Amino acid sequence: MAKITFRIWVLIISLFLALLMISPTLRDGVSIKNVDSSSKSFESGLRQGMIIKEINSQQINSLEDYNLIAEQLLLNGEEKRISIVTKDSSFVFLDSNISSITVGKIPKSNIKTGLDLSGGARALVKPVNGSLTDEEVSDLVEITNQRLNVFGLTDLTIRSVKDLSGNNFMLVEVAGASRQDLADLVGKQGNFEAKIGNQTVFIGGERDITHVFRDATQSAVYQPESLGDGTYISRFTFTITLSAEAAQRHADITKLIPIDPSSGGQYLSENLTLVLDGEIVDELRISSGLKGQVTTQISIQGSGTGTTPDLATADARSQMHKLQTLLLTGSIPYQLEIVKLDTISPSLGEQFTKTLIILGLVVFLMVSLVLFLKYRKLKITLAVILTMFSEAFITLGIAALLRWNLDAASIAGIIAGIGLGVNDQIVILDESRSKDNSTIKEKIKKALFVVVGAFFTIIAAMLPLFWAGAGLLRGFAFTTIIGITVGILITRPAFADMIRKMGEQ
Amino acid sequence: MENQSQQTHHPKKHWYDRYYKIMLFAPVVLLAICIIYLFSFYSQNGDIIYKDPSLSGGTTITITEEVDVEDLELHIQQSVPDVHIRVISDISTGRQIAVLIESSSSPEVLIPLVEEFIGKPLNESNSSIEFSGPSLSDNFYKQLAIAVLISFILMSLVIFFLFKTFVPSIAVIFSAFADIIMAVTVANLLEIRLSAAGIAAFLMLIGYSVDNNILLTMRVLKNRGQSVNSRIYSSFKTGILMTCTGLAALIPAFFIVTGLPDSFRQIFFILAIGLTATIINTWLTNASIIKWYAEYKKID
Repeated sequence: MAKITFRIWVLIISLFLALLMISPTLRDGVSIKNVDSSSKSFESGLRQGMIIKEINSQQINSLEDYNLIAEQLLLNGEEKRISIVTKDSSFVFLDSNISSITVGKIPKSNIKTGLDLSGGARALVKPVNGSLTDEEVSDLVEITNQRLNVFGLTDLTIRSVKDLSGNNFMLVEVAGASRQDLADLVGKQGNFEAKIGNQTVFIGGERDITHVFRDATQSAVYQPESLGDGTYISRFTFTITLSAEAAQRHADITKLIPIDPSSGGQYLSENLTLVLDGEIVDELRISSGLKGQVTTQISIQGSGTGTTPDLATADARSQMHKLQTLLLTGSIPYQLEIVKLDTISPSLGEQFTKTLIILGLVVFLMVSLVLFLKYRKLKITLAVILTMFSEAFITLGIAALLRWNLDAASIAGIIAGIGLGVNDQIVILDESRSKDNSTIKEKIKKALFVVVGAFFTIIAAMLPLFWAGAGLLRGFAFTTIIGITVGILITRPAFADMIRKMGEQ
Repeated sequence: MENQSQQTHHPKKHWYDRYYKIMLFAPVVLLAICIIYLFSFYSQNGDIIYKDPSLSGGTTITITEEVDVEDLELHIQQSVPDVHIRVISDISTGRQIAVLIESSSSPEVLIPLVEEFIGKPLNESNSSIEFSGPSLSDNFYKQLAIAVLISFILMSLVIFFLFKTFVPSIAVIFSAFADIIMAVTVANLLEIRLSAAGIAAFLMLIGYSVDNNILLTMRVLKNRGQSVNSRIYSSFKTGILMTCTGLAALIPAFFIVTGLPDSFRQIFFILAIGLTATIINTWLTNASIIKWYAEYKKID
């Protein structure tokens, strides 16, 4: 039995640490990605991140199980008792369905996959004119974060990115949001104004609006009505609380407006117009009882449309939700433009991940076959394979530790990095076996020259990718650099020792 | 020197001594043809590569629905003339896996056309939609081009630092350059529309390309006590094995296309073409230059 050298110990310990970082698990159930904050399920205490094990005493092992039950509940549309058992607790509420909960697969490990593998939406945002200063972009990130959180999206990454010419962008990546959601919540300035005539009564944001009601008692979506032309309209309403200052402004302005005689004295002659980013959301008649009154509670209305009653209701619900969000979070001081908007289907991503695993195995097989054909020694081939595997595994461990999102390009980087690693191992093998007159020390020095030289050229070559193209390809550069660094510091020295031991035997 | 090598080495190496300068000629001619081709390509297309919408601005819609691609193309072309449709199918069964619809128009224009054709709305579960604004993608492309340039310059500096001699360093850098030019040419001939990931692959290619060349140059300059030919031959044996394992790692990706992201396949594709080019440029171009240099400098 060969002695385990210090360098081989380092490799073993690194592999063990990587395993800890990745910590693979095989749990059953589905994980909650999002709970609509105005829903009954939310009231009952269900939150993002919980693991659902059972619904109405039926076991939930997979997404398929969950979808089946969700569909059954949706079909018989009546309000009923729904009991959900999670990993640590159980929740009961009355609702007609569980569409307020969005679920996903339980993460099988700490490895996070990027948008193109897990599915989701991504937007790259900049102001319409010019670039943002570092300070502006961090403000923008903060407001957007707040908006998306208020909207109920939690599984999100928002960060500022800089490109090679120093332009700042905001990058938003979010699972479970539609294209339209992102366009409306991230790309919009969110400039809300309530006007009477040309005077502004109040604007969106916490200065004028102290509270937006989102629970069922003070917000509602009404039954859709047919418009006759094949489309339907569904109205929504919700209550907001104005600040004392805004309420006073409302009183001062309405005091001077005469009552509309044609309404039989019911309404004032001017309307309250709700404007969002220059477009009229709705026009509300003002009840004559409110004339000159300091009212802090105001009801906001609007509508959604669709080609079926269901679509109209869904649209109204979504419009209401977005308007509530924008009223709560206020506006951004400049117009924004979404310069890149990608939505990736999660179903494609699932296939990708499966294929990548198969591909990884085939790559290992092919490389070992080539090496076995060349060296005709099982031990050497195994040593190379072990080294390749260790490099990939430790790189994944580091990615898990740094919570790096591995996208397809990052995984290509890992494989390409392993390829470069194999090259180095071949150099070490051939140098140590070469029959020239130099001593072992010189041989290793020469092998090291090639290995270190190749290491620095790859780092030099990959470096610009950290900035070029708003850093969208930095994953590729990152995993390649991590991979070859792991190679040069951990796996290569261990490999050299293994080969030396084999030589001695 | 000449004498010694004739006494101690295989007869087939005389052949190499006689013809190595001519062997340098072939890749140089090939490179010249590639450069002329790229110039004419540039004058026709206004650029040296075909770009996908992520670099030229526009929309890519990926659907997993099985459709008649020709009908779909005709349908979209009625309103949007510049549409490219690509099909990814399973190599073993020929089954359609995904259809990529690329156009310079906006998603607002393209989505309804696709929806009309397949007869149902596109949503998050049945499609992927990627859009890049024209000014952004233009900017991305320029930056990636600059990145390739910077990366090439940094690599050259590392090489000069490693060898500290002019001719061997230039030979390594030149063959990396030739690898890139040849890979671009082949990508164009196969009408591959490069994405950002595809361009990133060229940076990786720089890394792969110098591996072999550093090995060759190091052995020729530093392996004392052997003839230049045997030094080249020994590095050829090691280097070709490196390239073969590299290709062995890359090639399966083309056969397992089922559900591989496009960016991924492009990276592998560019690397595979590039690795093939390194065989020519390292073992014909660089080997000849370094042998010439070694004989001229009387290195032993």
